[in-house]
Amino acid sequence: MLQTKEAAVIATAKVNDIEVDIGPRENAIQVARKAGVEIPHYCWHEALSVVASCRMCLIEVGETKPDGTIAMGGKLVPACQTPVKHGMVIKTETAKVVTAQAMTLEFLLLNHPLDCSICDQAGECYLQDYTFKFGKAKSRLNEPKIQRIDKYHIGEQIALFTDRCVMCTRCVRFTREISGTAELQVVARGSVEEIDVFPGMPCNNKLAGNVVDLCPVGALCSKDFLYKKRVWWLKSQKSVCPGCSTGCSIEVDQNDNQVYRLRPRANPLAQGHFMCDEGRFGFRYIQDARRLRTPILKTSSTQSPTAESKMNGQQVVSLNGNGQAHSETAKNGVSDLAVIDPWPTVIAAARDKIRSAIKINPSDFAAVLSPMMSVEEAYLLAAYLKGLDARVRLLLGPIPTFGVDDRYPKSASGSAPPSDKAKFTIRAEKCPNRMGVEMILRHFQGASVPFEQATAGSTDIKAWYFVGGYSQGWVTEKIAKAVSHPTLLIVQDIFPSPLSMHADIVLASAAFTEREGSYVNYAGLAQAFQVATRPIGDARADGRILYELTERRGLFNAAVVRKEISEVIPAFRRFASGDLGLNGVRLIDPKETYS
Amino acid sequence: MTDNINSTKFEPVLLGRLGRPNSASLASYQADGGYSALRKALTMTQTQIVDLVKDSGLRGRGGAGFPTGLKWSFLPQNISGPIYMCINGDESEPGTFNNRILIEEDPHQVLEGIVIGSYATRATTAYFYLRYEYGRCYRTLQKAVDEMYAAGLLGKNILGSDYSLDIHLHRGACAYICGEETGLIESLEGKRAWPRIKPPFPAVEGAFRRPTVVNNVETMACVTHIVNRGAEWFKSIGVPKDPSNPRDAGSYGPKLYCISGHVNKPGLVELPLGVTARELIDQHAGGVWKGRKAKAVVPGGISMGFMSADELDTPLDFAGPGRVGCLGLGTAAVVVIDDHTSMVDVLYNCCRFFAHESCGQCTPCREGTAWSTKILERMRAGRGKIGDIDLLLEISGSIGTMPGTTICGLADGAAWPIKNAIQKFRPELEEYIRSGRKAEAPQLAGAH
Amino acid sequence: MSELSEDTKQKIRDHFGRYPTKQAVTLPALHMVQDEKRCVSNKAMEEIAEILELAPSQIHDTLSFYGYFRTEDAPLGETRVWICRSLPCMLRGGEELLAELCGRWGISPGETTADGKITLELAECLGACDGAPCMLVGDELSLRMTADSVEQQVRG
Repeated sequence: MLQTKEAAVIATAKVNDIEVDIGPRENAIQVARKAGVEIPHYCWHEALSVVASCRMCLIEVGETKPDGTIAMGGKLVPACQTPVKHGMVIKTETAKVVTAQAMTLEFLLLNHPLDCSICDQAGECYLQDYTFKFGKAKSRLNEPKIQRIDKYHIGEQIALFTDRCVMCTRCVRFTREISGTAELQVVARGSVEEIDVFPGMPCNNKLAGNVVDLCPVGALCSKDFLYKKRVWWLKSQKSVCPGCSTGCSIEVDQNDNQVYRLRPRANPLAQGHFMCDEGRFGFRYIQDARRLRTPILKTSSTQSPTAESKMNGQQVVSLNGNGQAHSETAKNGVSDLAVIDPWPTVIAAARDKIRSAIKINPSDFAAVLSPMMSVEEAYLLAAYLKGLDARVRLLLGPIPTFGVDDRYPKSASGSAPPSDKAKFTIRAEKCPNRMGVEMILRHFQGASVPFEQATAGSTDIKAWYFVGGYSQGWVTEKIAKAVSHPTLLIVQDIFPSPLSMHADIVLASAAFTEREGSYVNYAGLAQAFQVATRPIGDARADGRILYELTERRGLFNAAVVRKEISEVIPAFRRFASGDLGLNGVRLIDPKETYS
Repeated sequence: MTDNINSTKFEPVLLGRLGRPNSASLASYQADGGYSALRKALTMTQTQIVDLVKDSGLRGRGGAGFPTGLKWSFLPQNISGPIYMCINGDESEPGTFNNRILIEEDPHQVLEGIVIGSYATRATTAYFYLRYEYGRCYRTLQKAVDEMYAAGLLGKNILGSDYSLDIHLHRGACAYICGEETGLIESLEGKRAWPRIKPPFPAVEGAFRRPTVVNNVETMACVTHIVNRGAEWFKSIGVPKDPSNPRDAGSYGPKLYCISGHVNKPGLVELPLGVTARELIDQHAGGVWKGRKAKAVVPGGISMGFMSADELDTPLDFAGPGRVGCLGLGTAAVVVIDDHTSMVDVLYNCCRFFAHESCGQCTPCREGTAWSTKILERMRAGRGKIGDIDLLLEISGSIGTMPGTTICGLADGAAWPIKNAIQKFRPELEEYIRSGRKAEAPQLAGAH
Repeated sequence: MSELSEDTKQKIRDHFGRYPTKQAVTLPALHMVQDEKRCVSNKAMEEIAEILELAPSQIHDTLSFYGYFRTEDAPLGETRVWICRSLPCMLRGGEELLAELCGRWGISPGETTADGKITLELAECLGACDGAPCMLVGDELSLRMTADSVEQQVRG
């Protein structure tokens, strides 16, 4: 056993004379990467079956004989189809390889239009990149190019620029192997073949957007992103999709503080390579005009204000925001505040009100922590309130759940695979961090009590601190009713709601791209997400709000808070370095520990 | 269609029963001793038959010339679950029609070989993949198979043995690539016939992801006779191994040569492997037509390239065509091109064929075949450039003559006519381009 | 309204026993439908897909690969005539024969005469090079054709 292990550890191969360790089931493309050598390829993709048809990755291989001499195979082989064995010699720069690469590129470009100037893919196009690195400057085609008709009908979210296609068939394989929906197909044969859908059956499955990412050229484009922004203006930030408890690793691409697109980031510990369209296109709420843009402090002293007067009262201090926040009602005698940052006043007021409410009766005070919160945010709030008085109640906010887990690949009849055969799952639980927030709640009060449970009968809670952060309306009539006559109502949220309308204090908080922190997904994987955009208007990242509310020193820094959490809560001991890496860190299975 | 069987001094074996009344019927076949080989085979062990076929030196007649017995021996031993036999009757290589005549005239000879081969490989189902265009073959075969079931030669417990086999006919739908064994398997499975990457080879993972042997029609006919007459008989015919070349597997047995093109008497002839092209043309096809001379000869279907007029004494065995720069013996379909024919027209025809039949999977083949066709189209329109010749040569190198550029052999076949035409007829091509003349033949639709 | 008759559907299902997968019945099913309907309509493909438990796109993908099948935008005429143009036939006048027939019938390869009687196709090697130029009508080969003999055979 030990010997086998050792042998596995020392298995090596040589890539252009660079010796690298090899793992099991690695192909020559993957091994070459370790040596810093790029083997160009189009059709191969780690998550899809190997077809070896683009012939871009042709290399030469040989083996090291026992006497140390090297015997080369003499013919070209596709790197994607070459499992690397111990002692293998991979050569990617021989005359044969260089010729084959240049010719394959020339072939692929024969009928390719020269429309890079208007092509969305320009700047992240493997035809451009490989041509620059491995190709020829000029085509020798003297004949007219084959012209093909663009297919905007291919999907609600997808357009096919047919003549840019290199027929790598990644998209077809994706719909057959991953989504299982099999909408895409190859039609015809030889040089006139094309990608298409069956007439009248566009590619609209819930994972369809992935074919755009998979397309190595500008053939499949996202209609949502089409012609919106040249990709070289985009800045990317590593993030985690908050759309469901799968917690797909993603990239947030923004420019000038506007999110243009989300893309999946491969993470073997999380979702794999893909993301669903719900998540992919679900970022628009971040820039929604209805967002809360400024904190609100009700200054009216009326004890039982009418809705109208409360509204007015609110708007008295909804100052300084931009645009509509400067409403006429701001003239109510306090317009001189308009140039002053409202946050210190609002936060100080919130702190005072919380303290005095807890002083009156701590068990009447409840904070409702949303599963949209990060671990760090939940920790800051929970630790603070429990620190004020252990009898303060912490509740778990509503868990948005829709239907059942949606597993792929689907069968021809549309049925889902068993969960152990699933290649992708869109989870019914439409929030990113129930598990993380529950871990915090369990630590501070031994159990995670859902809001609904605490308010099922008549409730004695009179003072409330609500955290929202949901991308869509979450305050149901039931919730609003449960909070009907509060002595104190503080709402930290991103959208106005029946609660915020009646709140004494509204803390305009931030969407996920405007914050940093970590989420714990359904499987107990904690992943970090970074700030990609500034909060809208005068809204503030929740971490900063809580840092100031709880009178911590310095600026909110998720990694620093994670270190602290690791010391306080054993279940988070893997947070010790503060760094969760690109793929995240698996916490001790929380299910085992707590339930 | 027996009128195209050209007579020869060699006593034909595969074509031995042609011209008999009702030669395709089971009764007539059995009257001539048919199915004695099967009876004999069923008394032998599987290994004995595989060894016998190995000993005979039989090489596949479909084009690649791979030793049949060796192919059979690649099947994994001691496995459970089905093994499949596939018969490649997708004969589509331009110039090739021997399977058609074999099946139409003497189907039981082929079917007997299939049962023996299936028995030897432990296959319990055989799929006979037949190109669609061979409608008469289809009906002949279906009738023959029905007769066999009725006579206990197929189905459960064949001839009272404990061996059972079903044969299903499966019709193609006009795609040359189905003649490539893994393209055939994909087509059989109901998909586009995109050849598979290898490994795994069909013997390990073939049809329906099960161990599979794919054999040619003529090959299976040979098996019948080898079992009947023995390996030594088979080895006594043809060209023995070259002792100086350890990789030469010899060229044993009789071979069906198809002769077409500019000869007086196109047709099929059975001769020992190794006959020369000149002998075929002059002695078995009535010579070049109209008293002309041959300019070029295709040795084994257009994939194999061209022999020039001074290479006609090349023996058409497995090694011969390679010695004069051709790809190989291929299907032994000899196409004669007379000296009044333009090699530009001939090459255009070949390129257009491969562009039409390229399956479109691998980039070099898909694009290269179409591009070379376009270049030749332009040359034929009087707008060729001298540089086109080297460009064509380079394209042919990148699509097929450089080993490993594509998944299957179609690209090699597409490359070889270009390579040979340029190697052997460059002055003519250059003269054609310089003259700026246009092709006389009608300009029809291009590749598609 | 079903495009395929119950009889055809049953014939398709009757093939299941021959193969370990239902997908393998794709080509037999397409042949059956086209022989009956002169094309395979989208509706027919959907119905075949349902029987074979595949996506319609998989049927269409396979269908479009092969030269034999026609979709509903290009149904066949009553008689389908293929003229071979590959090298052995080309050397003996196959191209000229095809051009002559195009001229006589006023159509290009792939098209159907205005009266819907004849669809003319160009074929790659039909495997009857011993009788070049050769022709395929339906699935029967005819050898050594001239424009006149084609017309006589096809038009009667």
